Amino acid sequence: MSELELIGLGGLALLFALLAFRIPVGLAMIAVGIAGNYALSLAAPYLRFEPYLKQFKTLLWNGLANYELSVVPLFVLMGYLASQTQLSRDLFQGLNALVGRLRGGVAMAAVCACAGFGAVCGSSLATASTMGRVALPELRRMRYDPKLATGTLAAGGTLGILIPPSIALVIYAIIVEASVIQMFQAAILPGLVAVAFFVGVIALQVRLKPDLAPLADPMEAQARRQALLRLIPVLVIFGSIILGLGMGLFTPTPAAAVGVFAILAYGLLRRFQGNGGGPEHQPRGGLTLTGLREALLQTAVTSGMIYFILFGAEVLKGFFTRAGLPTAMASWAGSSGLDPWAILIVMLVILVLLGCFMDSLAMILVVVPFIWPVLVDLNGGDYVTAATAAYGLDTEELKIWFGILALVVVELGLITPPVGLNVFIISSLAENVGMRAVFRGVMPFFSAEIVRVALLLSLPALTLFMPRLLSG
Amino acid sequence: MEKLAVGWALLGGVLLIAIVLVTAVNVGAFGFDRLAGLFGAAVPGLPGYEDFVRLAISAAAPMFFPYCQLRRGHVAVDIFVSRFSRRTQRGLDRFSLLAIAIMALFLTYWLILGLGETYSDGALSRVLGWPEWPFYLPGIASLALWALVALMQFFKADAHV
Repeated sequence: MSELELIGLGGLALLFALLAFRIPVGLAMIAVGIAGNYALSLAAPYLRFEPYLKQFKTLLWNGLANYELSVVPLFVLMGYLASQTQLSRDLFQGLNALVGRLRGGVAMAAVCACAGFGAVCGSSLATASTMGRVALPELRRMRYDPKLATGTLAAGGTLGILIPPSIALVIYAIIVEASVIQMFQAAILPGLVAVAFFVGVIALQVRLKPDLAPLADPMEAQARRQALLRLIPVLVIFGSIILGLGMGLFTPTPAAAVGVFAILAYGLLRRFQGNGGGPEHQPRGGLTLTGLREALLQTAVTSGMIYFILFGAEVLKGFFTRAGLPTAMASWAGSSGLDPWAILIVMLVILVLLGCFMDSLAMILVVVPFIWPVLVDLNGGDYVTAATAAYGLDTEELKIWFGILALVVVELGLITPPVGLNVFIISSLAENVGMRAVFRGVMPFFSAEIVRVALLLSLPALTLFMPRLLSG
Repeated sequence: MEKLAVGWALLGGVLLIAIVLVTAVNVGAFGFDRLAGLFGAAVPGLPGYEDFVRLAISAAAPMFFPYCQLRRGHVAVDIFVSRFSRRTQRGLDRFSLLAIAIMALFLTYWLILGLGETYSDGALSRVLGWPEWPFYLPGIASLALWALVALMQFFKADAHV
């Protein structure tokens, strides 16, 4: 190992040390990037430090003035606007009117609503907290078992990250230079499989123990009709975003902007339409000025955080690449003689473990630039054909498949004991249900997730079916 | 200071909404163009649309940084620090706040040099032909404000831990 590579490794260790002391992720990345480049300039005189520093004249601005990335704050805004309007409630109540009378139906409606909401919101934590707020009171009113209720929502919330449009997928696609649209297409089937699995888990549980979920009284016909009617515009908005993206009618930025526009219009209409004879406990719907302000400020916090980490990752990348670390790791993995599948599985396990205490976006930004070249190398290099590749896929398809796998695994970290973030959020929303009870409720869903990861691993065609079909 | 950061972030949000509206018009025009194409007519889209988004987002995105700092929105990883004594936690917290302020000032400094360079180069955006240098200004102001917010949090006596 050369001196430069050693400096690179030292930088990596320093990064993790800084993170462990709760230094903000973006700051730690920038500090290690700059300090690392200084160390490199001492070790190798041709890597001069001063020209490196001059990059900072334009690095930040060029990073921000990026058309591709503009989709991120727009998707963030779309999610927060959707929480501020009554869209999430309309969605849940409409689905509830459809399937709520089945045993366990309210919980199934909650899972589907999470998936639907994931279609306007790119973040799992936001999905869990929004849908938790909407669906938990209803589940409690129906006297559902608290473990089942909270477990459903914590698990359902994880759907937000995968169901397109997903912010994490956009970021992944930018790192490995994949097509965002193809990533979105690939996410559709695995996402639907997750919904089916979760609904199946609920059905199985209430079948074994019917008293977990008391049967609901039939809704009044008029309230039911109203709830179903309200579902239509919501489905139109969601459907047009997903279909528009999936069929390649829109590129991501216009899709996000049109989504924000549609939700704004929906919020205003709903505002002036009033409650229209809905149930009394339901507040008047729609978007208020306070709601808009709140959505914009929340967008500022989330986008500010994302942009800071993105910029940090850019600075860090400049250091690691100069130190030659990613290529060194790739050639090390390639010459280690370990089975490529074993290495892939070890990587996924590491991602689950990291996902327990690290923000999923930060993790993708830090880890993927290392893992990706290793995978390409193990697979047989950049220009390998599917027939001779170790994973049986060419590089383009490997990108898509691994991205979806990585995201599903990161999701899993959100409900992994003892610190899954989604569990934490739902437990704090549910007030009298402790973390431990929520974890017990989540366990059946967790097992279903393990099965799904195994399925996605062994059947790459499941992930690649949609992109192959749609790109012809 | 807090009001300034809030107002600044809202201004960034308004820019974001502007992007939304411009995009909606552009997509609408594109749709009408398809429709009109059936009858042999053409509706022009907005020329330089991507240019506009690029420049607008370059101004809007940094405007979120100070407010994000105000709300402690920049993520950190909590593995074991929450088990330390309150004093140690506050010490670490102040260390990162100071480091953030220094970093923001460092970036402000280089961005001002960047502004000068872009101005003297006369860099223009590709399609619209707008000069790029004025779009450095919101970034410079944002980073300076970011440093101020972090310093304010540094000097504030009550601990956020």
